[in-house]
Amino acid sequence: MAANFFRRSLFLKVFSISSVISIALIYFLGSNLYTRIADGIFEEKIASAIAEGDAAIQNADYRFIIASLNRSTDIASLVAEMVSSSDISAKDSGREIAFLNTSNKEVLNIPAVSTSNFLDPKTISEEFRKKVQADDALYWERAQLRYINGEILDGIVVGERITIPRVGNYEMYVLFGFDSQQRAIDLIGRSMWGTGILLIALIMVVASIVLRQVIKPVKQAAEIAEQLTSGDLLQRMDVKGQDEIARLGNAFNEMADTLEQQITRLENLSRVQQRFVSDVSHELRTPLTTIRMASDVIFSARDSFDPVIARSAELLLSQIERFENLLADLLEVSRFDAEVASLSLDKVDIGALVRRCADDLGLASKDSDTQLQIDIPETSIVIDADPRRVERVMRNLMANAVDHAEGKRIDVKVRANETSVSISVRDYGVGLAPQHIERVFDRFWRADPSRSRIRGGTGLGLSIAREDAELHGGNIKVWGEIGSGSNFVLTLPRVNGGDIVEPALSEIPT
Amino acid sequence: MTSVMVVDDDQDLAEMLGIVLNGVGIEVDLVSRGDEAIDVFRNNPPDLVLLDIMLPGLDGIEVCKQIRKQSVRVPIVMLTAKSDTHDIVKGLEAGADDYMVKPFKPSELVARIRTRLRRVGGEISSNLTIGDLAIDIVEHTVTRGGKEIPLTRLEFDLLVALAKEPGRVFTREALLGEVWGYRHSTDTRLVNVHVQRLRAKIEHDPENPTIISTVRGIGYKAGATGPRG
Repeated sequence: MAANFFRRSLFLKVFSISSVISIALIYFLGSNLYTRIADGIFEEKIASAIAEGDAAIQNADYRFIIASLNRSTDIASLVAEMVSSSDISAKDSGREIAFLNTSNKEVLNIPAVSTSNFLDPKTISEEFRKKVQADDALYWERAQLRYINGEILDGIVVGERITIPRVGNYEMYVLFGFDSQQRAIDLIGRSMWGTGILLIALIMVVASIVLRQVIKPVKQAAEIAEQLTSGDLLQRMDVKGQDEIARLGNAFNEMADTLEQQITRLENLSRVQQRFVSDVSHELRTPLTTIRMASDVIFSARDSFDPVIARSAELLLSQIERFENLLADLLEVSRFDAEVASLSLDKVDIGALVRRCADDLGLASKDSDTQLQIDIPETSIVIDADPRRVERVMRNLMANAVDHAEGKRIDVKVRANETSVSISVRDYGVGLAPQHIERVFDRFWRADPSRSRIRGGTGLGLSIAREDAELHGGNIKVWGEIGSGSNFVLTLPRVNGGDIVEPALSEIPT
Repeated sequence: MTSVMVVDDDQDLAEMLGIVLNGVGIEVDLVSRGDEAIDVFRNNPPDLVLLDIMLPGLDGIEVCKQIRKQSVRVPIVMLTAKSDTHDIVKGLEAGADDYMVKPFKPSELVARIRTRLRRVGGEISSNLTIGDLAIDIVEHTVTRGGKEIPLTRLEFDLLVALAKEPGRVFTREALLGEVWGYRHSTDTRLVNVHVQRLRAKIEHDPENPTIISTVRGIGYKAGATGPRG
């Protein structure tokens, strides 16, 4: 659902892509800058710590040498004084001093371990001590400053070996905290986060404003195109200015103009054509009525004529009837072609309708010895349909079956399911070749042109039947095999406009 | 002798209609213009009017309305070259009882004219009542509280057909056979339009009919809807 919406909305797509890219870019740049600033600050501190540590150790070394020359000096109190001279703790941007006996022994009242401000001597790792003990060079490493009371502080330790003449080997360490540096870096980090978030929000706002500007006309074009498609040909886009969007609007409107003109022209053409066909048929009807009545009068007096004239009167009447049927069918076809055919809906009892049609054709079946077997469910099936059209379809299908049954029986079956009603008309006569199945609906098409016309159909019956079925939202399916007959199945939806999920009968006979 | 006024602008067709109708013993008065038809009708009222829809002077639908103003009773059968629903319904609503689409069989036309002219209810001796309406078969009148409701002959026939078997549900096809004399027709528009017209005249509230009620999906019956009996 969400993915679908994402795919459907250009705004969302472009907006989220640009947001993701800007977030990634700002994060990358920001974190890079942050690392470099932090590194710079630490490097600065480390450099100054090494210099200061070095100076303090040199100073201590120097004082021990001076003290060793003066025998009266108490080395122990010198050490204590040196350690306690660091009265500003590393916690308060000061420094700590640690004085350790290399062999961890107390010599001449000098404690093996002395540290300033309750610094835990474990702060200085054994590895680092080994490095410092090894030679006379100055060493440093980053370390965590631990205090007896449990406080921990990031910082640096600088150390060097000191030999107090006649007393022994000691190491002196000077330790500095990074506390103030860390605070500065934290402050920088926080303000960078704030700036970054603000920047991203700003980019999103700008992007959405710009996107809306660009997408609005595109959206409008899409909406208007949809309206044009649904037949509202008068819709146009608003065009402002002369930019690319305005060009799109102008081109779109020109296209709509052309489309409207073409459609109006075609509509007019088709209206003129349909009007002409309809007028011709109507104009033909009045004289045909007169001819019809005249021939009827002549026909009814035929007993008093000489046989040749009497037969002519018969032929005249039957051909006028045929002409009438043809005219009626042509008019119907022209209505379908002009798409002006409409349904006159009513409740239709399909079973009753089929029986009525069968009764009407009953005589014709007796003439050709055709047996009509009707199979209709007992419960009545009432659907929404145009009774005149459905009846016409059934008459056409049954008349067609009688024409081709060659005297064999015809089965008419009615079945219904939830969505549809199907009526099959099956004959066991000449049948249809598979390649002819679709052609049976072609106008004036005959499977075998040499075959005699028993009932004198117009050749338009099945074509009209199919149009009638389709007007209902239904269909006619055909099965046929040479020599085993054919099966025509009309399927109609039970409710007008309803879908046929599955036809109640298949055209393939069981 | 029965007289029929034929209003049609096609001279040959009108003459032919005259020949056919004369042949079955019906006197014919031929009129070729719509405006003339109204004068002729006033001066010499026929038993039935055959009316073409497309007429010079005044079109058939208008003529139909004018004639109905002068006579509620006279049967009017429209002749039309158009089988489009629109024109036929307009004609029926203007007061025509029946219609014939050209070309028609002369025998069918004669049968239709005879159906429209026959007197219904011949087999019923007593008068009928339905709802608060009294139907006098002999006098051919319908009264409510002593006051006559003017009905066309066809509306009268339709009401009698339903009222003589109260409660029976008539399908539209059955009514087409009984009242119009059609054997095989599914043109239910005829029935629907005339039931509407009849209801407009006899029902207290045509929106909620109680005298002629609709049985959904089947047809009509005399009496209110609800459980039968």
